[in-house]
Amino acid sequence: MAEVEYHIQMSWKKETDEITERRQLARQQGGLEAIAKHHGKGRLTVRERIDKLLDPQSFEEVGPAAGAASYDDEGKLSKFDPANFVLGFGKIDGRRVVIGGEDFTMKGGSPSPAGLRKSVYAEELAVQFKVPLIRLHEGSGGSVGGKGQSMPAPVNAPARFVSVAEAMATVPVATAALGAVAGLPAGRLVASHFSVMSKTTAQILTAGPAVVARAMGEQKTKEELGGWKVHTKNGTVDNGAEDEEACLKEIRRFLSFMPNNIYQLAPIVDSNDPVERAEEYLLNIVPNDRRKSFDMRQIIEAVCDQTSFFEIGAGYGRSQITGLARLNGQPVGVWANNCKFLAGAMTADGANKARRFMELCETFSLPIISLVDEPGFMIGSQAEKEATIRHGTSTVLTAAMTTVPWASVMVRRSFGVAQAAHYGPEGFILAWPSAESGPLPVEGGVAVAFQREIAAAPDPEKRRLELEHELAAKQSPFPRAEAFGVHDLIDPRQTRLQLCLWVDRIQPLLPTLLGPARFSIRP
Amino acid sequence: MIKIELETGGSVWKLLKKTGDQVKAGDTLFILEVMKMEVPYEAPADGEVESVYIVEGETVEEDQLAIEISTR
Repeated sequence: MAEVEYHIQMSWKKETDEITERRQLARQQGGLEAIAKHHGKGRLTVRERIDKLLDPQSFEEVGPAAGAASYDDEGKLSKFDPANFVLGFGKIDGRRVVIGGEDFTMKGGSPSPAGLRKSVYAEELAVQFKVPLIRLHEGSGGSVGGKGQSMPAPVNAPARFVSVAEAMATVPVATAALGAVAGLPAGRLVASHFSVMSKTTAQILTAGPAVVARAMGEQKTKEELGGWKVHTKNGTVDNGAEDEEACLKEIRRFLSFMPNNIYQLAPIVDSNDPVERAEEYLLNIVPNDRRKSFDMRQIIEAVCDQTSFFEIGAGYGRSQITGLARLNGQPVGVWANNCKFLAGAMTADGANKARRFMELCETFSLPIISLVDEPGFMIGSQAEKEATIRHGTSTVLTAAMTTVPWASVMVRRSFGVAQAAHYGPEGFILAWPSAESGPLPVEGGVAVAFQREIAAAPDPEKRRLELEHELAAKQSPFPRAEAFGVHDLIDPRQTRLQLCLWVDRIQPLLPTLLGPARFSIRP
Repeated sequence: MIKIELETGGSVWKLLKKTGDQVKAGDTLFILEVMKMEVPYEAPADGEVESVYIVEGETVEEDQLAIEISTR
């Protein structure tokens, strides 16, 4: 009788060795050559980016075994291509986040079947675990034809973008464009509360140069189509940063103001900036001459905790300034007019920027500080073409629907319908002596309302100036304060103290705001 | 060479420097009038005004090149 050989496996060593081997292969990403080429273009790999952003040794990878394996004739593993989206948990300043990004060294970041599954899972994980989501983008969308195309999703598959929208309504989402980002990743990039792009390595493209040339006959480089100069000015991304590392620093900074989710309040930090700090220059910063402009950012610096102001979207909608800051350690949203740009008027893009900013504050229960110098909606033919009245009114109604506490400081002008956007329901209102308010600025109003009287005067120009002067006096804040139209009329130097006291008073209100907001934010 | 470009349209209310003038960082080069508001443009660095492309009283467009300053 022939001897039968039995091979009884005594352990799972062979399999665990293969797991180790697959892990090693996965960490090699697209291979040494592809990584060297990527580095040669001055770009980091997705794993390097993740390591740089997270606290040391804090990355807990999700799905490292996902990918495509090949076997030789003997059934032994010959090749393993990891999913080209790296995903996991990690910590930033000790707080857990979900983080993920495309691996450009494999298929140029265009999703492999496993890569797509992992990338879709990023939002779902963040919503499930209620932690902030960070996506570091570099890659394109799907490609036509080729091998390994996944089957179309079945009709009963969950709607693709529900989790993306839910993430935006549940947890802070911060994204960075670190290389060329096109198609689906570009859509996901902007589906965020804060986005930043590298000025040296990134472009954002709905479609790249080849597709554009074919469809539109336009010959443009990636940079011309979607470089930082284009997208920081049109609001596609919030901020531009010099390089990849600077982008990662901006994400850390943004998250420092944010709660983990809508069910928690933003973290209050110890502030060593005295609440009584009163900057003398505030007494003179607003010129008496109404034609002269001033630097609103200096007021923000004087009022908020020192160096805490983090501006969001400085490059677009520039008549409005928006950002996050702290008052005695409490994170707040800050919105102010910039009279150095189109007199601070509410343009269509400025209105959109402000609306989105209010939605951010409402989603995460951040109090809003509004420094008002609003001359009204932007006027003129360009403004009419841009549907300024529609976008502006949308912003006004957004303010009206907010539930977060507001403190508005009337710094100078507060005119027209547009001014209503700068005051929240039941808001706390302070006025500086330089405040003036009314249906429209004196200069424009006098020219219209007293047209005949001015024309009939012996010296029309002199009469116009007299009328302007008379009416400007009526727009002074004193009558408004007498009528209890403001909570108080204050010395500008006392603004910081007053706002810090207000922040202390609203503390019992903030926990009552937690949970889903009445309305959420859209990109 | 430093190029001073206009952030917005408006009209040139006062042109304070001319070709060949020496300027110091922070000097006002010209003042635009935009929506009844004066918007001064300052020299970002010391240098000499190389070219002036705007004219007092004329309307100007966003992104228009206004002045070039040579820094050496």
